[in-house]
Amino acid sequence: MRFDGIVLPDRARLREAVDDIRKGRGGISLYLSLLGLLAGFLAIGCIFLLGHAHTTNTSDLVPWGIQITTYVYFVLISTGCTFVNFFGAIFYEEEYSPYASRVMFLAIVTALAAFISLATEMGRIDRMYYFLISPNPASPMFWMSVWYAADIFIIVLEYINIRRSRHSRKVMWAAFFVAVVTYGTLGSLFGAVGSRAYYYSALLPIYFLFMAFLTGGALCALVAAVEGRKTLGDGSPLPAFFTTFLKIGLGLALFAIFWRLMIGLTGHVPGSEAFGLTLFDTLFFGIFLGVVVPFLLLLATRGPVGLIFTGLLILATQFKGRMDLVVGGFRVPVFRAYDIPEVVRYTPSVFEALVVVASVSLVAFVYLVCDRSGLFEPVPGKEG
Amino acid sequence: METREDILEIMREDLKRALQKTRTERRWGMAIDLRRCIGCHACTTGCMSENLTPPGMHYRPVREEEIGRFPNVSLRFLPRPCMQCDSPTCTPVCPVKATYKRDDGIVMIDYRKCIGCRYCLVACPYGARSADVGHYYTGEMKKQTYEVENSGEYGKVFRRKTHWHSPIGNARKCHFCIHRVEKGELTRCTATCLGHATYFGDLNDQKSLINKVIAKANTFRYREELGTEPRVIYIV
Repeated sequence: MRFDGIVLPDRARLREAVDDIRKGRGGISLYLSLLGLLAGFLAIGCIFLLGHAHTTNTSDLVPWGIQITTYVYFVLISTGCTFVNFFGAIFYEEEYSPYASRVMFLAIVTALAAFISLATEMGRIDRMYYFLISPNPASPMFWMSVWYAADIFIIVLEYINIRRSRHSRKVMWAAFFVAVVTYGTLGSLFGAVGSRAYYYSALLPIYFLFMAFLTGGALCALVAAVEGRKTLGDGSPLPAFFTTFLKIGLGLALFAIFWRLMIGLTGHVPGSEAFGLTLFDTLFFGIFLGVVVPFLLLLATRGPVGLIFTGLLILATQFKGRMDLVVGGFRVPVFRAYDIPEVVRYTPSVFEALVVVASVSLVAFVYLVCDRSGLFEPVPGKEG
Repeated sequence: METREDILEIMREDLKRALQKTRTERRWGMAIDLRRCIGCHACTTGCMSENLTPPGMHYRPVREEEIGRFPNVSLRFLPRPCMQCDSPTCTPVCPVKATYKRDDGIVMIDYRKCIGCRYCLVACPYGARSADVGHYYTGEMKKQTYEVENSGEYGKVFRRKTHWHSPIGNARKCHFCIHRVEKGELTRCTATCLGHATYFGDLNDQKSLINKVIAKANTFRYREELGTEPRVIYIV
């Protein structure tokens, strides 16, 4: 099986791309992502070498911080890309096929970025093999790892199939269902925590899937719009399905955010005050900036520039949404006493913030380099 | 009137009796008389020196709780060890079975297995678990011998300086000083309690002091409504 130039970048073109970067012809986005990658991986190195004690601001009151947020954010994007691939291929086969390899490539790279962020949060990454030799089937985290492995395998297979023009509908359907199960399980990992009212909800797995569709759709639309700007110019319309997906995603997100908030606010159980504490953020960033404004932008604009702006806005507000979700669960301490703060605050350290930069930069850098190397161009006589 | 030494001696005798039984036949429990707790934090410091916990990590903090409504409010001291729940929320969530409930009811952590995912910290409704992120009292460069030597927790050797079996990166919590109990010694918090507010023993032994004390008093178990069935019983 030949991978060079089909599944992986062609060596000669990759060398050309690297030469371009060396000679300063890489473009601002590529250099920014390279800088972010260097700074981010330096911070990750510090986290591993110096330890969490000197590099992170998580604590017993806030055990999961921005690294877990980043992990959740990127795995949801990865799932969303798989959803876009599935619905694109099902409903818009001809129109969608030129974008398929990019979309699945993004699904793989975002999953990788999520892993990197997760690895920096784990206390003992060297003991991960216990997932294999001492599994606990009662734990949602164990099942998430099983489904995660299956998801990675199947999205890689789907990508290879797309690039080799041997697209299998069975693999595509399997990728869709594995993604639903995997990220539904991730939702249950939070939703099954009965001691924290902010998490404890049967709605959470559905919430995760809906948010995945929106964020994945936003990244795909952003990438398609940037690509469209290069090939079609500023004024030409892009395929309508990206906009359609985003509109559906926004509707689903509104449903999930609104009802999670309403149900949370009406609850009078210990810990449900967290919904009140995050009320402004949910209404302003989650609903107004995250749903209403992007929807109006989608109605008002048709060209790639509008879609780029909308995609970026959704991606930014969704990151804020994931932060509110993960850290929000710790705002109200489970054990209340006079000498424990009523509201727990968490500000990420510079090292933690740089892990986010590393993850974002990794996705951007790998994508841009592969794009420059012509990886997403149709294989002569095969794709498209 | 029994003196503090008498009470400790009775509980030691209870321990000896319990240790003659098999592990499945005994059920370790703790009772804390909140009327007697004077908030001296001797249990907290005793526990820290016994288990060599790093800065900021307290297996048995004594919290201060405001009870009542204004103007009838008062302050109460509330020691909070791990509740060793009979239906714990922390053990099922552990993806690698590093934390589990032993036959005698102690919720254990295997420091060699724990991957440091902190899911158990998130799941515990009492905030009884801590993450050992690697702090030292005297700083990384000047760390003292007592900070890196074996604490003897769980009756095993876990030195903080040796990386592989080090608890750094792990979740940690109170384990009712099981390494002491199995040698016939009382938990450190029970032994150091100045107000003799802490009782420890086998809940399956009807003759044990802890059972006699519980039978006579008004008791409650913290956040019992969650169905965790805590084994720490508060007397009010």
